[in-house]
Amino acid sequence: MDTIFNILLNDSIFKAFLNDYYIQVLTMLGIYLIGSLGLNLITGVTGQLSFGHAAFLSIGAYASAITSLKLGMPFPIAILAGGVMASIWGILLGFPTLRLSGDYLGIATLGFGEIVRVVFLNLSITGGALGMAGIPRNSSLTLVIFVVFFTIWAMYRLENSRFGRALVAIREDEIAAEAMGVNITNSKIVAFALGTFFAGVSGGLYAHLLTYLNPSDFGFLKSFEFLTFVVLGGLGSIPGVILGTSILTLAPEFLRFIADYRMMVYGLLMVFMMIVRPRGLLGGVRLSRVFKKKLSQRDKASATGAN
Amino acid sequence: MLGQQLLNGLTLGATYALIALGYTMVYGIIQLINFAHGEIYMVGAFVGVLMVTVFKQGLVVSLVAAMLTCMIIGVSIERIAYRPLRGSTRLSPLISAIGVSIFLQTLMTKVQGPQPVGFPHVIEDAIYKFGSLEITKVQILILVVASLLMAGLTFIVKYVKIGKAMRAASEDYDAASLMGINVNRVISFTFAIGSSLAAAGGVLVGIYFNSVSPLMGVSAGLKAFCAAVLGGIGSIPGAMLGGIFLGVAETLGIAGGFDLYKDAIAFTLLIVVLLFRPTGLLGRPIQRKV
Amino acid sequence: MKKNKLWKVMSLMLVLSLVLVGCGGGGGEKKAAEGDKPAAGGDTIKIGFLGAKTGGHAAFGIPTLEGMKMAAADVNNAGGILGKKIEIIEEDHGSKNSEGANVTQKMITRDNVVAIVGDPTTAITKIAAPIAQDKKVVLLSAGAVGTGVVEIGDYIFRDTLLDAVAAPAVTQYVKEKLGWQKVAVVTSMNNDYSVGLSKLFKAALVENGIEIIVEQSIQDGDQNFSAQVTTIKEKNPDGIIFTGYYTEGGLFMKEVRKQGIKAFMVGGDGLLGDVLMKMGGEAVEGSMVYCGFAADENKAGEKTKKFIEAYKAGNNGALPDMFAAQGYDAVMLLADAIKAANSDAPETFRSELAKTKDWEGVSGTITFQENREPIKSPVYLLEVKEGKFAVKDIVDIK
Repeated sequence: MDTIFNILLNDSIFKAFLNDYYIQVLTMLGIYLIGSLGLNLITGVTGQLSFGHAAFLSIGAYASAITSLKLGMPFPIAILAGGVMASIWGILLGFPTLRLSGDYLGIATLGFGEIVRVVFLNLSITGGALGMAGIPRNSSLTLVIFVVFFTIWAMYRLENSRFGRALVAIREDEIAAEAMGVNITNSKIVAFALGTFFAGVSGGLYAHLLTYLNPSDFGFLKSFEFLTFVVLGGLGSIPGVILGTSILTLAPEFLRFIADYRMMVYGLLMVFMMIVRPRGLLGGVRLSRVFKKKLSQRDKASATGAN
Repeated sequence: MLGQQLLNGLTLGATYALIALGYTMVYGIIQLINFAHGEIYMVGAFVGVLMVTVFKQGLVVSLVAAMLTCMIIGVSIERIAYRPLRGSTRLSPLISAIGVSIFLQTLMTKVQGPQPVGFPHVIEDAIYKFGSLEITKVQILILVVASLLMAGLTFIVKYVKIGKAMRAASEDYDAASLMGINVNRVISFTFAIGSSLAAAGGVLVGIYFNSVSPLMGVSAGLKAFCAAVLGGIGSIPGAMLGGIFLGVAETLGIAGGFDLYKDAIAFTLLIVVLLFRPTGLLGRPIQRKV
Repeated sequence: MKKNKLWKVMSLMLVLSLVLVGCGGGGGEKKAAEGDKPAAGGDTIKIGFLGAKTGGHAAFGIPTLEGMKMAAADVNNAGGILGKKIEIIEEDHGSKNSEGANVTQKMITRDNVVAIVGDPTTAITKIAAPIAQDKKVVLLSAGAVGTGVVEIGDYIFRDTLLDAVAAPAVTQYVKEKLGWQKVAVVTSMNNDYSVGLSKLFKAALVENGIEIIVEQSIQDGDQNFSAQVTTIKEKNPDGIIFTGYYTEGGLFMKEVRKQGIKAFMVGGDGLLGDVLMKMGGEAVEGSMVYCGFAADENKAGEKTKKFIEAYKAGNNGALPDMFAAQGYDAVMLLADAIKAANSDAPETFRSELAKTKDWEGVSGTITFQENREPIKSPVYLLEVKEGKFAVKDIVDIK
């Protein structure tokens, strides 16, 4: 057991052919992937706008940091604690707000995100604006890749289950779904709980990668960053979200050579990619089609994707 | 002291309202949350500074120049970044808007430097006293200009042909275009008006707080957006009401000892209002169509 | 058919991007293989700049970089050190924590820097320091003033005037020389520097028997302080302790004077910058700021004077701020340590750097204590006079 653990927490395999800069960037990418796949479940699959995803990341990050720093729990438990705590808050927020429709839900979650940030700013256990330092650096690339694959697998299974189809039905037409016997409120809350769980896990890993947290890192801009990953990749499409997140997290690093114009180009790139592919880079592409090509040709007419 | 705080809140609220109008008008017609709107407000403030310092113009000329410049910028952004996305998913123009916002912010940081710039002195710091109430000349200016602009907007929307077309498009986009309204023109017009109001807000805030910075649009934009939603997004009187409501609530909240949670006040209010009136104070109820 | 084609294009793109990553990775791998330790023995001595050129902290990063470049130019014009030239590797982290970590890793593993100067903020310094410590690269922060920075490891230094030293000295000064009895304390709650400084001031105030009659909170980025000032006005304090940054400080005092409060403001070096006057105008006349560096050409020593002249020449006549001076000193400190150690290997010159004692820089005299915390003397207490900072008094630190 211990040896398995050591392999997970130690990037000896990757260190053989990647330098630490790439390991750092790829680990960060993996962490973002977990978070954006979580958001994809909420916004892409179920069609419920969330502008407050970073808040759940911050809840997960702080919860797991406190679990490992103040309670002295082992790392895996800290990560789980982050996920569970974020999920609990997801449910608490979901109950009253998920009956709001469309943009109003987005706005309510945006408000929630800002409230969470202000609360963390004033909470003494999280160090307020001084932040929390000294979190052990445990998030290794190996472990993160492992979690990413687990997340993709879970999302794939979910999407192709009865429950997943219910979620898609809710996205496409709430009233019709209700008429077909889908329990809308319940399904939405479960989707929200699952999506925020992955956000929390992602936050926990983030905390244990950067070793330092402060609330200003989790503002609404970060929430929009995640939304951008998902929308640009293709709402509801797992390969799309993976591609979108990869491009957008790696782009600022690739663009370092243009120095001071980096973020300007990044902004323009977002506009450009959106105009070229309004439904996202891989909008409507489903993971199953990547593997079962024949099947995909048969049902290509039906796979027109997110709306 | 309450009266004084109310007055301060009202001034702040008037500037929120000016920005909120742009959000609400655009949303009313194309259901787009124009996240680059805060940046237009920021650019407007910088144009104001530029007119006063470099071109040595007075307040009125600077204000008008800022409004005209932002009108052009706003319309161009719509043409380049939003129009090609019309008819696609609701979220794609939103992402495009975020891209525009990042671009404008970094562009201004590059051009102007990261430091906030003080607004040159255009009006003297006179204070008028009414009993225990103190009002500065700048506050009067803000209240007067904001009221004039909002009155003008109300007039256009109610009585001018293009304003009526705006209302029609906001009521029912498809029907309006079937009735022979050139919807593209209406949308361009909406962006023009909204952007120029934001620019006016930017110049006024720049004068009031004597500070203009490349990042000023972020929090002001978010607050104004909140105000628009609070009042009922899509509703013009709602945006005015929401702005003033938010400004007063924030100021009173700080005075009441909740200064630590100042930024949370706006959002708590927002969530509470949304829970009880899901479409805002003056918003039309959403109809669920089968 | 259309869908199918799209899928092909997409996979092609994916493969292409993977190849790109692979190529980049390959390049890095070679370098990493040559020496996991940032190697001594290159043609230049590389010093990394960790800071923001965009985003909220750009105002601290850009002048720091400016100072660093000047120091590098000065060293290089004098023939370099160990026969090599200093090269500044500049990267922008856009004021984002996660990119701060990326940049640190990049500079250490890809650019092979021997030392990093930065970050000007405590937060990102705390993210970068464990990485630098782990990789045995010297990190010298030219701006972090919060607690728990140098404790991260023996490769971590900073060259700032510590508030833990300065705040008590200033508190004693306002009590003894200005006769303050009751004060208002204003803190910017989303600013870790301000929160920390307020704590130090409050402790010092209690120790000196000064009463805190009202505490108010603001936020960085706020523009409207009318509510807080109205509350302060009711209590009528002798003075205002303002621990935030200059932008808010200037605007805050503007509101204070507008509402007719006569009290003066005193604050830390977060208030030091021309922006204070740009924002505050006449309202900040008489405001006091303590700092470890003041660009006062009349009172500056020879070395500082030269620095100020050179900075002005390169920046359209603008005076250097604390960040520029500390950035300059940081590179100079490193250069002197490398010279003394006769080696640019971090393991070697690190101990020379730790031995720094009574080192004369443009921002003051620096001594590193046993725990690598700097003692900087003197503390400059500045006062705004006719729109300019002028030295009001110089408080020596023992």
